[in-house]
Amino acid sequence: MIHDFGIVWTERALLLSGLANTTILSVLAAIASLLLGFALTPALMSKHLAVSGTARVFVDGMRCVPFLLFAYIVYYGLPSLGLRWDNWTSGLFALIVYNTAYMAETLRGAWVAQPREPIEAGVAFGFSDLKLFRRIILPPLLLSAGPVIGNQTIQIIKDSAFLTIIALPELTHAASSIQSRHYVPFAAFITAVFLYWGLCLVVEAGVNSVGRLAEARR
Amino acid sequence: MSGGDIASIFQGAAVTITLSLIGILIGLPIGLGLALLRWANVPVIARIVAVYVSMLRATPLVTLLLLLFFALPNIGIPINPISAAITALVMNTSAFNCEVWRAALMNFPKDQYEAAQSVGMRASLRFRRIVLPQILRVSLPGLVNEMSLLIKVTPVLAVVGVVDITRAAVRIGAETYDPLPPFLVAIALYAPIVFALVALQRWIERRQSAAEAAA
Amino acid sequence: MAALNKVLDVAGVSKRFGANEVLSDVSLQVDKGETVCVLGPSGSGKSTLLRCINWLERPDAGQIYLNGQRVGVSGAGIAMSDRDLSKIRTRVGMVFQHFALWPHLTVLQNLMEAPVQVQRRPKAEVRDEALALLEKVGLVEKRDAFPSRLSGGQKQRVGIARALAMRPDLLLFDEPTSALDPELVGEVLVVMRELAHEGMTMVIVTHEMGFAREAATRVLFLDRGRNVESGPPEQFFAKPETERARQFLQRYAGDTANGKH
Repeated sequence: MIHDFGIVWTERALLLSGLANTTILSVLAAIASLLLGFALTPALMSKHLAVSGTARVFVDGMRCVPFLLFAYIVYYGLPSLGLRWDNWTSGLFALIVYNTAYMAETLRGAWVAQPREPIEAGVAFGFSDLKLFRRIILPPLLLSAGPVIGNQTIQIIKDSAFLTIIALPELTHAASSIQSRHYVPFAAFITAVFLYWGLCLVVEAGVNSVGRLAEARR
Repeated sequence: MSGGDIASIFQGAAVTITLSLIGILIGLPIGLGLALLRWANVPVIARIVAVYVSMLRATPLVTLLLLLFFALPNIGIPINPISAAITALVMNTSAFNCEVWRAALMNFPKDQYEAAQSVGMRASLRFRRIVLPQILRVSLPGLVNEMSLLIKVTPVLAVVGVVDITRAAVRIGAETYDPLPPFLVAIALYAPIVFALVALQRWIERRQSAAEAAA
Repeated sequence: MAALNKVLDVAGVSKRFGANEVLSDVSLQVDKGETVCVLGPSGSGKSTLLRCINWLERPDAGQIYLNGQRVGVSGAGIAMSDRDLSKIRTRVGMVFQHFALWPHLTVLQNLMEAPVQVQRRPKAEVRDEALALLEKVGLVEKRDAFPSRLSGGQKQRVGIARALAMRPDLLLFDEPTSALDPELVGEVLVVMRELAHEGMTMVIVTHEMGFAREAATRVLFLDRGRNVESGPPEQFFAKPETERARQFLQRYAGDTANGKH
């Protein structure tokens, strides 16, 4: 068994590049889907039924489709429609679009739960438009949505593992390669599990520190 | 895509649903058991459960599945795709269920427990008659949410060769060189199942908050 | 042109929400240095009147002038731009029932936020003034605390200081003590009384009859959206002209007797 971990150690460069790719994918997808989610949230709450209805169908639709199937469709299905992307583009696109729906719904929930009076005070004190959003609405919104955004980021890290099926060289793919090359399945995959765990603990530590900030600023 | 192809996707759907149900039914009580071990603060074991749950919640189902499928035979435990799939689903979902149950247990009003003690109920009776019905009510939306998440990760089982909806669709796509139609059929099967659970969760939440408002 | 010392002129304002007429043809003039208390049963439109003054609600009819300038409508009956509206709003301070402090900012930051960000005044100057205001409401030692750490009375005193930091021409109070525990009402009224003595121009929606009786220069009594009665407090409290006002005062007589220390 120790010998098996020795083999994994000799392949550490491969494993670390897998970890790096998983991290890059997850960070890019988390940031992009958060920003797009922010853009979509007002549409979800729009008074125009056509706008809110369309946004709602997209969000609920994504929430009802398994991510793996969605990734399959983007990678294998879209070429039928003339869209042919490499596995990185497809994988990142799938992660971003899919999680945008979750982020938008999360932000909508946090937005609706915000007390109205401080925002109204912002209007009464002369804030308007972008400045009202940026200085009065956004900071408490981010603080209160912090934990859920963190959870969604962990979900993105785990979703990114599915992209191994379209041969994207992320962490699980790296572990698979090591296992098929040397036949050390336990050592290879358990190492990957620990690396995922570490990644999620980092996110959780971040969430906790945001939580501490939010605690004082409730 | 022929009628036979569609039939084979439906056969896959039966496999998906069966495996999901087995995962849910076994995962629920195990999750509760884990939560109780943590709640009761059993020395050492509570710590182990905490680490186990934290780790499993961070582990992608694909990675867990590959670990079980390839590593168990390696240490002398033969395992077929179906048992690997069920084991992975149960481990995954029980870790999440544990957190839902635990949150309900931690918020359980202490005075009720003491009231049950004061009328002479014994521990097992207290738990069955007083604690369980109430934490079940509180946990229900979270548990239903977890069920819909579980169904959404089942396509991964195809990776080790389980012929579920996704694997059937992939195979037809490969045979007909037109993967889009079978994938759309697959979506048409998944979406209503997941949507039904999402709707169920919203309905329960609405009914509970209406009941609270009336009280 | 309005008289130079007339700060606020509300002329025949009406507002309805659906079928419900909340304000009907209400007029009110406030001179510089006046303290006008708006009284009336719940749902009589008091808060709506206040919210129309700084255009948080758009009245359906009537005009509002602040220092002679029309609020909410510019030139030829066109709705005012956000920019102009914002300029007017910075001249009207508002104190909210539930304080409405910005939870993510410290006490001092709450005071400085709008003067620096909206009025674009120099930070150092705003800071000195904000500290002086905190001194005045007795909370200078709480300047770095977040609102969640304050008691209700302290929150409302910060709310008043925040409104004053804008150097407003007019201060609006929307039931400033209604959300407070009875023992915390006093500390807020002390601050408001001091402002009245200093000659701050204020319109105050309140249920504190004792405060209205001694601090108001004038009382406005609203009932079902109508201005039923108005006049100096001595006259209103001793000899109300209308039956509605008499009934109202009877209901609140107990409160006035018990509520004061």
